[in-house]
Amino acid sequence: MSLFIHADHVSFQYQTDEEEQSKEVLSQVDLQVRQGEFLALLGHNGSGKSTLAKHFNTMLLPSGGHVLVDGMDTLDEKAKYEIRRRVGLVLQNPDNQLVASIVEEDVAFGPENLGVPPEEIRRRVDDALKAVEMYEYRRHAPYKLSGGQKQRIAIAGIIAMQPKCIVLDEPTAMLDPRGRTEVLSTIHKLNREKGITIVLITHYMDEAVGADRVVVMDNGRILTEGNPREVFSQVELLKTHQLDVPQATELIYRLKSCGYQLPDGILDEDECVAALEQLLKAEI
Amino acid sequence: MVRDIALGQYFPGRSVLHRMDARVKIVLLLLYIVLIFVGANFAALLLTTASVLFIMGISGVPVKMYLKSLKMILFIVLFTSLLNLFYGQGEPLVTLFGFMNITQAGINNCIFVAVRIATLILASSVLTFTTSPTDLTDALERLMKPLTIFHIKVHEIAMMMTIALRFVPTLLEETDKIMSAQKARGADMESGGLMQRVKALLPILIPLFVSSFRRAGDLAMAMECRCYRGGEGRTRMSSMHMGTLDAWVIGFSALILAGVIVCNLLLPATIR
Repeated sequence: MSLFIHADHVSFQYQTDEEEQSKEVLSQVDLQVRQGEFLALLGHNGSGKSTLAKHFNTMLLPSGGHVLVDGMDTLDEKAKYEIRRRVGLVLQNPDNQLVASIVEEDVAFGPENLGVPPEEIRRRVDDALKAVEMYEYRRHAPYKLSGGQKQRIAIAGIIAMQPKCIVLDEPTAMLDPRGRTEVLSTIHKLNREKGITIVLITHYMDEAVGADRVVVMDNGRILTEGNPREVFSQVELLKTHQLDVPQATELIYRLKSCGYQLPDGILDEDECVAALEQLLKAEI
Repeated sequence: MVRDIALGQYFPGRSVLHRMDARVKIVLLLLYIVLIFVGANFAALLLTTASVLFIMGISGVPVKMYLKSLKMILFIVLFTSLLNLFYGQGEPLVTLFGFMNITQAGINNCIFVAVRIATLILASSVLTFTTSPTDLTDALERLMKPLTIFHIKVHEIAMMMTIALRFVPTLLEETDKIMSAQKARGADMESGGLMQRVKALLPILIPLFVSSFRRAGDLAMAMECRCYRGGEGRTRMSSMHMGTLDAWVIGFSALILAGVIVCNLLLPATIR
């Protein structure tokens, strides 16, 4: 897989008016996002994960180092809109991202800004709404929809710009469990079927299990990275940084620390059930 | 309670009026407003009012909705028509309390003012009920396009209106939530004098303001993420064009215009 986003020794600090030393939010972060992968960026509040994500589409510019998106430097003012077209950002609160009072007009907002011809916009809007399974709601008013539906429309609004990558900044934090499942299955589908690179920022460990690769951030640095199995088997490391592991992993970890013979790297309920079944059979 | 605001609410449908070009609707509304105030005798007034009622009938919007928007201005209508009742010139028919004269002209004024304001509101409601807010602002933007030569930022104004309309339901919902939250903490909003009630609003307005600013920040970022950079080089998904339908409605309105002119010329004016 080819390289799509390259964060090269990125440092960032918010500029303050006073002379006082401002705290670095990101320090020397090195991260590579490959074309077509599903990357989960984990970390608790204040770890710098959202700040890093905003560097991926020029919403923030690094105070040290460089961010290269598809070969373009985000510090290059001329490349700004080209980068924003390629990397879409979905925010946490779905209510605050919708611009128009009608679903399809909101989805059309992005392509309209890009100066796409009207017939082409129509086609893109229909395709995007079908991709998030909201086509039948195209003439509805967003405020009458559920949180999960609104968030899917926000995603459709990004897809209509035909980006190569979508960065989602805690897209499920304000949703109920059902809305969360809707949104997650939508982004997995987009990754699988349209080959769109996904960077999912979350603090729900269970959401990261389905990713190709997991990056854990803490205190403005990358703590560890690897596939979900590698990352979540480092239970002690994660715990010392006040991070959780998926519930199934946690259960197995506790049983193991009580002396039971169980395998490493359990991620979801099914694997957990299978492992416990084996253990119980062996006991009998 | 706060959500019972009928004015400016779009009522989706497929009637003739829903399918018309929004620009034509705006221009025709202006024409009807002029007609309402130009008609100088009962015949002209009846003609305009009847045509507005007819248009309301074919709009497919329930009468209840129109009554709701009338209810909101009921007080203004009553107040102004009552005032007019006592300001007529000429021979008094009745004298109340020795100084308030009711004349024939006063009665005429009273009826005219009441009917004019009511018709005005009904005609504008037809526009807002049958046109989606986005179509409305879109049409306004296109109609005001010539003003750009005077350096008026037409696109920005239209965008602000779109966003304002988009956030009305969201902010109403939020107000409801904050009110419930404050009531749950023992805030008393129903009793006390005027000053006390105004003071009781503060704990609602402050959180509402703070959250509005936060929303504005988020929205600005979301818009930038979607490559927004003002009106330049922007295209629109829906192009507006006038069809035969619009031609028919324009023709109908032209007939009413002619009718009002004829009424004004042939019959003596009852009001000036």
